Amino acid sequence: MYPRAIPENRPLSRFAYGLLVALVLALWLLPLFAVIMTSFRSFDDVMAGNYWGWPSKIQVFENYAAVFQQSKMLDYFLNSLIITIPSTIAVLVLSTMTGFVLSRYPFPGAMVIFALFVGGNFLPQQIMMIPIRDLMVATGLYDTFWALILFHVAFQTGFATLFMRNFIAALPSELFQAARAEGASPWQTLIHIVAPLVRPALAALAILVFTFIWNDYFWAVVLTQSDAVKPVTAGLSNLRGEWVSQWNIVSAATILVAVPPVLMFFLMQKHFISGLTMGAVKG
Amino acid sequence: MNSVELIGLDKHYGQYHALKSLDLTIEKGEFIVMVGPSGCGKSTLLKTIAGLETVDTGKITIGGKDVTRAEPGDRGIAMVFQSYALYPHMTVAENMGFGLRMARRPKAEIDVAVRRAADILRITEQLDKLPKQLSGGQRQRVAIGRAITRSPDVFLFDEPLSNLDAALRTQMRVELSTLHAELGSTMIYVTHDQVEAMTMASRIVVLNKGAIEQVGSPLALYANPVNRFVAGFLGAPRMNFIEGTTTEVGTDDALVQLAGLAPLRIALRQGATVKTGDPVTVGIRPEAFAVGGSKPASCPARVRLVENLGRETVVYADASPLVTSGSDTGTRNVTIQLGSAVAVAPNSEITIGFDPADAYLFGSDGATLTPAKPEIQSR
Repeated sequence: MYPRAIPENRPLSRFAYGLLVALVLALWLLPLFAVIMTSFRSFDDVMAGNYWGWPSKIQVFENYAAVFQQSKMLDYFLNSLIITIPSTIAVLVLSTMTGFVLSRYPFPGAMVIFALFVGGNFLPQQIMMIPIRDLMVATGLYDTFWALILFHVAFQTGFATLFMRNFIAALPSELFQAARAEGASPWQTLIHIVAPLVRPALAALAILVFTFIWNDYFWAVVLTQSDAVKPVTAGLSNLRGEWVSQWNIVSAATILVAVPPVLMFFLMQKHFISGLTMGAVKG
Repeated sequence: MNSVELIGLDKHYGQYHALKSLDLTIEKGEFIVMVGPSGCGKSTLLKTIAGLETVDTGKITIGGKDVTRAEPGDRGIAMVFQSYALYPHMTVAENMGFGLRMARRPKAEIDVAVRRAADILRITEQLDKLPKQLSGGQRQRVAIGRAITRSPDVFLFDEPLSNLDAALRTQMRVELSTLHAELGSTMIYVTHDQVEAMTMASRIVVLNKGAIEQVGSPLALYANPVNRFVAGFLGAPRMNFIEGTTTEVGTDDALVQLAGLAPLRIALRQGATVKTGDPVTVGIRPEAFAVGGSKPASCPARVRLVENLGRETVVYADASPLVTSGSDTGTRNVTIQLGSAVAVAPNSEITIGFDPADAYLFGSDGATLTPAKPEIQSR
């Protein structure tokens, strides 16, 4: 079994383990801590180079309020939600359907289609920058919500299909045979059997996909231009001044941008139910 | 009226010939048990009847309707799986009503059907529970209940009791027989457990390598197996097979020479094709052996192992040069089943014997050469 628990009678090993865990955690959280602290600082501190020390003046409210006063942060937030929520839902729906078919209905060419879904993930997205931008311009979708929604749905569905296919393939096949023997159509099986049983997978996938799309900066810059469509990640750069950047304000905005994925995690957490198929077969 | 008819069913999995031109007619209300060693095609056959597997050629009719290409849901069948296959996120009642719900039947009708099935199986108290809250036996009851709710023409059971412990298996066996009597539906039951086959079947179908070896009532198959395979498959402990040669073949009997015994005179059935000097196999059921010199054909043997089961004793004895082939134990010992607890000491010398009239004779192709024996012994 891995990982093996450290035996109780090895106090030194246990102490070393605890120490290392704390060390790794500290290293991991250090940048985040710095950003949080900076978001509390005054601009004078930033100018003086006081990034790590105690803030000379704590101005939480001022900084966070400035984020919304100095830029259209609220609009960007809304834009991000308009892009991310429908994209995530579409990816979940599509990948459940493709995953179900690919895992349960062997048909000629299924392997090829599956390979395409998986293979698409290995393409570096940057090499598609020019073609995709040209495509969006040609179809008139450039600088609209649709450009980002369509792009993200198309590119996240590949990975999500791999994820869902494997999860559905691991469900006991007797359940599907039983449903079929009882006269359930493939659609009915998908809605009444598959969907409830893949809830934990969908929750995990929802967090991943939501975070990917929410955090995307590259395509936001490539496919949008106007403030009316720009998501928060791209909008953040508007906060940077021409000559000097108010890093305390930028930090506050960054913290705000990071909140939705974290919220998403806590929202989905209750769906991580282990052993959902318990009682289905044997036991 | 014929309930299920299988005509020339043939199926391949790639190169593997899973079903070989199978024919079987099942009457309405029969309890058919299909047995055979693993890989014999019994589960495949059941799934083709269910429609979960397709056939290459052949025809399947259920209730007179050709269903060879029909979807499982349109065949009038209901299937119970070895692993129960309950939907884990649905309550017992939802599980049982699933088929009717998918067929968009009115809610009142579903409720009535679920209640009725739950009453029959005595699981009314469990209706609101989830499968994971039930014991194995209760889960299998729910799976059977799910089949009953759809009131199918034919019930298909795929080793439904294999996952239950021995005591529960006995109980469910009795319940299934009772249920069959109560519903009067056709039931097709696949198992590798010959006790289930012997106790529940109105007819047993013995399958081997994708083909039917023999079909008949349990006692008919036990008393009159058509070949060595069926003889060896039914009966526990297994029949003793002893290789020998014919030294003289008459019109209605033959002299058979076995190592370590005087030549035996064994009756032949009409039209048995055997010549003098042919290799043959003599089959003697363990219960046909007796300890002591009371039987016509006897020889000395050394006791190797004694299994005292209380109401019966199974003795494994080394009677070489008289040796058996293809035994359950993998040894060449003779298996003797005695009808009560008998004091037989391991390693002791005993005399074992049998009556040649109880013996079966199989030709080199495995076919039975001896005439039919009475199904109920009058002794």
